[in-house]
Amino acid sequence: MRGRANDGRTAAAHDVEVEVNDWSLAFRLGGDEHLWPLSQIEAEPLGDLVRLSRRGENARLTVSAQDWRAAAASVSKPVERRRRRRERRMVAALAAAAAAILLFVFVGVPWASGPLARATPPGLESQLGETYAAQLGLVFPTCAGADGQAVLHAFGDSLEEGMDTPFNIVVEAVEAPMVNAFALPGGHVLVTDDLIAEAESPDELAAVIAHEAAHVEQRHVMQAVWRTVGLGMMLDLVVGGGTGAGQQAVLLAGSATELRYSREAEAEADRRGQEILHASGLSSQGMAPFFRRLAGRDPEDDRTKGVMEFLSTHPDSLRRAAVSQARARPGELAISAEDWAQVKAVCDGDPRRRSGR
Amino acid sequence: MPESMVAPDAAREPLRLEQRADLKSFLGLSLKNGLLNLVTLTLYRFWGKTEVRRRIWTSTYLNDEPFEYRGRGIELFIGFLIALGLGAVFLGLVFAVQFLGPVAALLILPAYIGLMALIGFAMFAAFRYMASRTAWRGVRFHLAGSGVKYGFRYLGYLWLSALTLGWFWPAAQIRLAAPLWSGLHFGDRAFAFDMEDAKQENVYGPFLLMWAGVIVFYFGFAGVAFALFAASDFDPEQASPAAMMAFNYGLLLVFALAVVLLSLPYRTAMMRCIARGIRFDGVKVRLEVRTFAFAGLFLSNIVLLTISLGFLMPFVQARTAKFLFNRIKLVGEVDFAAIHQSPETGPRQGEGLADAFGLSIV
Repeated sequence: MRGRANDGRTAAAHDVEVEVNDWSLAFRLGGDEHLWPLSQIEAEPLGDLVRLSRRGENARLTVSAQDWRAAAASVSKPVERRRRRRERRMVAALAAAAAAILLFVFVGVPWASGPLARATPPGLESQLGETYAAQLGLVFPTCAGADGQAVLHAFGDSLEEGMDTPFNIVVEAVEAPMVNAFALPGGHVLVTDDLIAEAESPDELAAVIAHEAAHVEQRHVMQAVWRTVGLGMMLDLVVGGGTGAGQQAVLLAGSATELRYSREAEAEADRRGQEILHASGLSSQGMAPFFRRLAGRDPEDDRTKGVMEFLSTHPDSLRRAAVSQARARPGELAISAEDWAQVKAVCDGDPRRRSGR
Repeated sequence: MPESMVAPDAAREPLRLEQRADLKSFLGLSLKNGLLNLVTLTLYRFWGKTEVRRRIWTSTYLNDEPFEYRGRGIELFIGFLIALGLGAVFLGLVFAVQFLGPVAALLILPAYIGLMALIGFAMFAAFRYMASRTAWRGVRFHLAGSGVKYGFRYLGYLWLSALTLGWFWPAAQIRLAAPLWSGLHFGDRAFAFDMEDAKQENVYGPFLLMWAGVIVFYFGFAGVAFALFAASDFDPEQASPAAMMAFNYGLLLVFALAVVLLSLPYRTAMMRCIARGIRFDGVKVRLEVRTFAFAGLFLSNIVLLTISLGFLMPFVQARTAKFLFNRIKLVGEVDFAAIHQSPETGPRQGEGLADAFGLSIV
């Protein structure tokens, strides 16, 4: 058969005559004789033509696909079958690797996050908390009312008696455009000005703070940190460079797991929060009405936006209201009427206060 | 090396570039790659990308002879594993610093800035890998030059562009293209980049259109929206969160679309400009592409990718290659018998960092 050949040394092209027998093909180019065993030839289809090369060599030979099919009938089928088998095996191995990664991320990391959090030295967790608090401080400035902050501080300290924790619970009111409260690693509890405005009685605020303190005690925050680290590392690195639907599916699955874990943690924090209040002889009756009021808000209400934010991180309010109602016990008022007035005014003094309330 | 025995004039060939991809076949490939990416959590992407490149390369013909792509999926995969290791170290450091206190956390800032230089390095490394895996008539391409230098150059140009409110960016794009093309070799023969000729192409006119257009549109748009608010009794405080969100995203979408439209003349001019600077053995390159034709391609690509959730990426890449290569005219003649294979074989693995940053074009 005839073909067009490159010798692999220059970019010139030459017409050549190719001799084929049962096990090899041969052509002469320049002064060189090329003898290629059929079993070592790689064929790249180019429409009606096929480009042949011998593994590891730069020389190329292009012949008609028809000629090549006739010449290599004996070898091309097993070669093609081998190629298919290799590809199937490779895909299977990749799918297995993907399954292992999913298992690690969605089962292994969450499972290990509890023990990891408990094994994290409290000193280290406190350090981490300081860093977070400093970073959050840039976004959410501390409220200026020194008296109100002192009341919240003292209330946090009083809760520690009923808790089993090495951490110092430090409660602080911050300015933030949302109804929410956060527990940071190491015992910082931040309560937003909007949440304080939303609370109708000291019991309600006390219940929210006790709930966050329970997160600290149970080391939920540290667990979430470990989960985020594990999840983030694996997903960012493995799927990060990919595009399209696969990545979206994984991220969606990731947020679903996070939601499940946070739901369990929230329920536990509700229960422990109430126990902590009981241990200090305080009323735990503020939790249920607060949840119920948030859940039952008229959607036309102008503060619904803030409430939605609280609900998205604290899901299932009505059910939780019912459960905490059943556990609720009367007790002392957490904060005296005089102190409560200070707390309500804690964010008033800040000149950077948002308008339009 | 053997001396050429042929008289130089007789052996010189004029050049003709042609892209003959059968686009329909890329639909099937898109589906296959998409499905395998799903089952393998996108780990298949290295092999999928390799197959897309192989098909685009082998359907691109120079003087009726197709290019060759010699890259392998496993090489990209190993490059990815190396980048994965580096990335894990980096993320580990970022995490560890959180434990050291607020001041130490600030130290991470230089690392993020350094990341920008790394992006430049990754672009150079990706181009170097692709060049080394490209061959024609059995002769390999390769890219010479320093990726580290390129990375810092990229970082510097980003700063300059930021300081000049974007006005340095067109110059930066040309200056970033220059080392890629002047470092490129086909066999033992180097390409060159003629900066003076490239500058003949008017890029600052279309850039002004984009720059001023975006500003005018931004304020005009804000003004119209504000006037509409004022005229109607629509109160954002009263609207439901879902309606507000839809409204916000709608605004953002219209704005993004306007920015894309305004950028199209500039994008087209920049491609023509870079093509114009490319030289090979005296051959000049002309990219004959007009804004309207390119706008049609660009916008339809966006639509295709959006409605297919990214699945049609290989199809989009193939039709883009076909569009561009078939508008390239090569002016001049080359004696290919005088071009010899270079011993340079390029990096052993490829593109890990570019993959991590989501950079690769094809």
